[in-house]
Amino acid sequence: MQISVNGKIHNVDAGEETPLLWVLRDHLGLTGTKYGCGIGACGSCTVLLEDEPVRACLTLLGEVENKKITTIEGISPESNHPVQQAWEELQVPQCGYCQSGQIISAVALLSETDEPTDEDIDEMMSGILCRCGTYPRIREAIKLAARKISEQRINQ
Amino acid sequence: MRSFSPDRRKFLKLSMAAAGSSLILGISWSCTQDTPSNTDNQSDNFSPNAWLRLDPDGSITVIVAESEMGQGPYTLMPMMVAEELEVEWDRIKVEHASLDPVYGYQLTGGSGSIRKGWSTLREAGAVAKELLLGAGALALSVPVIECTARLGKVVHNPSGREVAYNELTDIAAKQPIPGTAQLKEPNEFTIIGQPVPRLDVPEKINGKARFGIDTKLPGMLYATITHCPVFGGKPKSIDASEAKSIKGVKDVFPIDEGVVVVASDTWTAFKAKEVLSIDWEYGNKTRISTESIINQLKARPLEEAQTAWEEGDVETVLSGSNAAVTAEYIQPFQAHVPLEPMNCTAHFKGDGRLEVWAPTQSPSSAYDTAKAIVQSKIERGLKKVQKKLLGIHDDSIDVHTTLLGGGFGRRLKQDYVSEVVQVAQRYEQPVQLVWTREEDVQHDHYHPLTLHKMRGATDENGMLIAWEHIIHGLKVNASGAATLLYDIPNTRVLVQDIGAIVPWGPWRSVAPHYNIFAVEHFFDELARAGNNDPLELRLKLLRDHPRLSKVLEIAADKAKWEARPNGAISYGAAVLSEWGSNVAQIVELAETDNKYFQVKKVTCVIDCGIVINPDIVKQQMEGSIIFGLSAATKSKITINNGRVDQSNYHNYPILGIHETPEIEVIIVNNEEEPGGIGEPGVPPLAPALANAFLSATGKPIRELPINIESG
Ligand code: FES
Ligand code: FES
Repeated sequence: MQISVNGKIHNVDAGEETPLLWVLRDHLGLTGTKYGCGIGACGSCTVLLEDEPVRACLTLLGEVENKKITTIEGISPESNHPVQQAWEELQVPQCGYCQSGQIISAVALLSETDEPTDEDIDEMMSGILCRCGTYPRIREAIKLAARKISEQRINQ
Repeated sequence: MRSFSPDRRKFLKLSMAAAGSSLILGISWSCTQDTPSNTDNQSDNFSPNAWLRLDPDGSITVIVAESEMGQGPYTLMPMMVAEELEVEWDRIKVEHASLDPVYGYQLTGGSGSIRKGWSTLREAGAVAKELLLGAGALALSVPVIECTARLGKVVHNPSGREVAYNELTDIAAKQPIPGTAQLKEPNEFTIIGQPVPRLDVPEKINGKARFGIDTKLPGMLYATITHCPVFGGKPKSIDASEAKSIKGVKDVFPIDEGVVVVASDTWTAFKAKEVLSIDWEYGNKTRISTESIINQLKARPLEEAQTAWEEGDVETVLSGSNAAVTAEYIQPFQAHVPLEPMNCTAHFKGDGRLEVWAPTQSPSSAYDTAKAIVQSKIERGLKKVQKKLLGIHDDSIDVHTTLLGGGFGRRLKQDYVSEVVQVAQRYEQPVQLVWTREEDVQHDHYHPLTLHKMRGATDENGMLIAWEHIIHGLKVNASGAATLLYDIPNTRVLVQDIGAIVPWGPWRSVAPHYNIFAVEHFFDELARAGNNDPLELRLKLLRDHPRLSKVLEIAADKAKWEARPNGAISYGAAVLSEWGSNVAQIVELAETDNKYFQVKKVTCVIDCGIVINPDIVKQQMEGSIIFGLSAATKSKITINNGRVDQSNYHNYPILGIHETPEIEVIIVNNEEEPGGIGEPGVPPLAPALANAFLSATGKPIRELPINIESG
């Protein structure tokens, strides 16, 4: 089966019922997308499917054929997406394990909303768990990234 | 600056000519401990466990033996070296130490990394600087006394001529360890005390960071395990026919801890695990339940309790008082649930060597575990294994520590190492073992259930005159409860321990977590009974602990305790003095309608002595408060029929961003020895919250977690 991840086409030899999470990790070696729960309860495995955030542990290979998939490895060429910049500036990660899911979800949120409110942030991010407790910084970093994106727009 | 004489047994310097003359410095901190050292036999005593490498290309690498699980050692340890070495922070790189006896016993826990490294790492930087100064003076043919080290260069002050460190590594490596070196005074620090960015952040925002579960090796097989649902049970018989019919499943077999599936990828192994049909020998723990444990704790005769602390005559005062107050608190089992599930990778190589890649808090203990398995298999005479392992000798086991996706004490246990080694010894290829989240929740080593029985009395002025705290639980101790910090004339703390009848493990903040809850909530119950403001009474009874009362005063000031609104928002405070640090937290609880409460804000003040990196202290406080709030309001492990009821984040929930209150952290800066920061922020949260509820509803909390919807 053929899938498109981060702009590259891959041939995958796995059953249609295989969750995208394990296709990415074990078949394509894209280990940035993480396994945390396998039941859609932690958000660590979040990726973009046609620019929409989905839980890769619940998304089956058969559902993603010929669709555009973006993982943490593919959101910017030099780790310089405004969300990544904000994450670095505000020193969000601790252990870092949940951060791919957090960053991908933040990217999705900011592609929908220019100026996310606290409620918007809660709605998009509440299912992405962080045992290290980086939430206060995630909230601030999303707001900072929103400002960066609007500045970029003005400058263009 | 102050001079010190480097202990020559503590430092080892090497020149690596082959690598282009790097200067390598080994440092031992075993000599900094109060153990008698045998000066006649210096080489035996030498046990360096941190290394500093200056390469000719100008990079400076600090090799850190502490596990990075989010708490910051990959940044904090290098900061201490860089400070004394006089180099720009952006030239510092970090590398994880490999497992080697020369590093001593490698274990990260107990909020101990900074406290362990504080003197030694700075001394290492200072000695390296001294060596470079000597080398610079030689290179410039000037007296060393006329030279200063500055921003990675040796500068000859009178002439202004200078030479960079990286041009000096060769000469420096040939210098003897200096007789004296200089350490900076705190007011001279330029790196320590600064919020320098963490060295591990760049790779943690682009998916490049490699955790244990991300280990990929050529030809690697993937395994998973199912443990007996009842603690301590073993497989009797296995029907694996359905599992083995799944494409990609290689094998199914029992090991000591459970039944293993080996497959071509993780998902295939997980799928096969689900269709195994196993007949278990449940063993003798099938009757254990949360209820039976609580009954057992309650039924234990007091005569069997151990006295941890006693002063004055509690019994007489309590029996003579008509204002005695009693309380019982129950706190549940808790699981660690780090986001990265348990996993480990191992490879028995053709030459008999065993390599292990482990996200572990203790590579040394991982090594011991692996070695014990290897040896016991040889002793049991398993022929095939024996043949493969005959070549095994001590240094033929190598443990690589990866990044850890959270630790919280869980990764001090090495069960996943033991399991993967048993599996890997059957294969030529490397094997990665990954537990499902369900196995993680149901086969953790739990923070113990505890029951606290409290008795206390006040005099006619509401002053506390008697205090008794009996701690009941599984493998419990009195840390955080004894010595009681409050100035009360008659006090007694007893420990009633029934041992680890369910798997026990250290969980972020360990005993102070359960004890501080009981101490601090009961304090408020007594204060109310005596019509005292709990904050004022605390300050009065903490007179002899100036650092602790100071953090409480600052917290009260920042949270505007005096001016707190009546009614709509209730305040609760709690304090802790452990791990060399002092913390006060004040919780603001809002009642949004008749029944519903919301934690609005937590104000946290910490005095952890000299601050290495204030931003990492702040991170640890934020994370600790959120960790504490999960346990205080959401999560609990319960047991029935010898099994854990919960299985994943849906029924063992932890806090989400939408439930996280505003958190304000204030750091008190002083020049005391540095204290720990990974754990002290956790324990005060639950009692501060319970005290806010007590103030809101007039009702004390008897059991955790608190039902936030109604108190
Ligand atoms: S692994 Fe997919 S949501 Fe947890
Ligand atoms: S940073 Fe550790 S789980 Fe989020």
